[in-house]
Amino acid sequence: MTDAIATDPRRAELEELLPFYANGRISSADKARIEQALAADPELGLRLEIIREDMAETALLNESLGAPSPRALDRLMAGIEAEPRQAPLMVRAKGGMVAWLGQWLAAQPPRRLAYAGAAALAIMVVQGAVLTGLAVRGGGGAFDTASAPTQASERYVLLSFAPEAKASEIAAFFRRYEASVVDGPRANGFFKVRVGDAKLSTAQVDAIAARMKAEAGIVSFVAPAP
Amino acid sequence: MHTESDDDLVKRIASGDRLAMKVLFSRHQVRVYRFVLRLVRDETLAEDVISDVFMDLWRQADRFEARASVATWLLAIARNKAWSLLRKRREAGLDDDYAESIPDDADDPEIVLQKQDKGLAIRSCLERLTPEHREVIDLVYYHETSVEEVARIVGIPENTVKTRLFHARKKLGEILKAAGVDRGWP
Repeated sequence: MTDAIATDPRRAELEELLPFYANGRISSADKARIEQALAADPELGLRLEIIREDMAETALLNESLGAPSPRALDRLMAGIEAEPRQAPLMVRAKGGMVAWLGQWLAAQPPRRLAYAGAAALAIMVVQGAVLTGLAVRGGGGAFDTASAPTQASERYVLLSFAPEAKASEIAAFFRRYEASVVDGPRANGFFKVRVGDAKLSTAQVDAIAARMKAEAGIVSFVAPAP
Repeated sequence: MHTESDDDLVKRIASGDRLAMKVLFSRHQVRVYRFVLRLVRDETLAEDVISDVFMDLWRQADRFEARASVATWLLAIARNKAWSLLRKRREAGLDDDYAESIPDDADDPEIVLQKQDKGLAIRSCLERLTPEHREVIDLVYYHETSVEEVARIVGIPENTVKTRLFHARKKLGEILKAAGVDRGWP
């Protein structure tokens, strides 16, 4: 027996959409088309009845399969326990910063790499022009660098907050250390925090960072920063 | 009561939150398990596969793209793992033994028909479809996925989803007809 629907491309196209009409996962435009066709095409209506019957039995069959035993969750949690703790992307890369950079570059599409290369070249040209300008202005006498002053007037730490830290705890933390945020949050969630002026020695900044680090409920990472 | 969305749970998982992992697992484990079990037909193997699926999610949560739903993502990972197992079983020559064992698992459709239970006959014939046809039927009829979602999970073009489902339905009808249930198509 020939399949009258299969030999008519317009009806065949609608017929293939019937299962998605039956499960409700169809666009409103296709739904309207199918409802219009069903009103005029009893054969299509019979196909829909078959689909609904099969759908009900498929659901019954799947429901009869029960659920996984607690072993599945136990196995998963044991696997998670055995995993090293999640770390930021740069730290996670085996082989350190250079390896991470290599992996990151390898993952970029060629067009993006080309744009990045052009941007880097432009920056180098501008830097070169600025440095040359500074040298020329100096008249070839005393040698000036284009970098920041070697003696910073303030002392900083870089820190990130623990996800569970409350806003009130963070506010109290800043008051305790007479600290203030000067930059951040950066893309990796770090803040640059001022902890005092230039009178603080390196050892004193280290000690402040160590005290901050001990407050694990509030901060998850602290390190002295330039 | 506020229910945290799957996307929010995945964000928490990406930061190493184990409780979020347990919540997401309890939310999706049954459906993923049933999808895998219908393919591998072994409860212990299916449980191993779902733990592996969620382990992948734990490792890759920071790479999740919200373009697809979490459920679709999980089914796609589960499908890859289940098919990898099926391929290994096929290569090891275990599939032939396995295929022979299928009639023991399901009642013969003709016998079922004698019991005058059409629903049971359909369920029995659903078991006799190939894994390729079974998965597309399950995804659309039970997991209520769209054409786009099936395409993403199975890794085939959207037009292929529609034609594969058509052939699966037709095959199911043929098996039923051979067992004495004629529904007028095919």
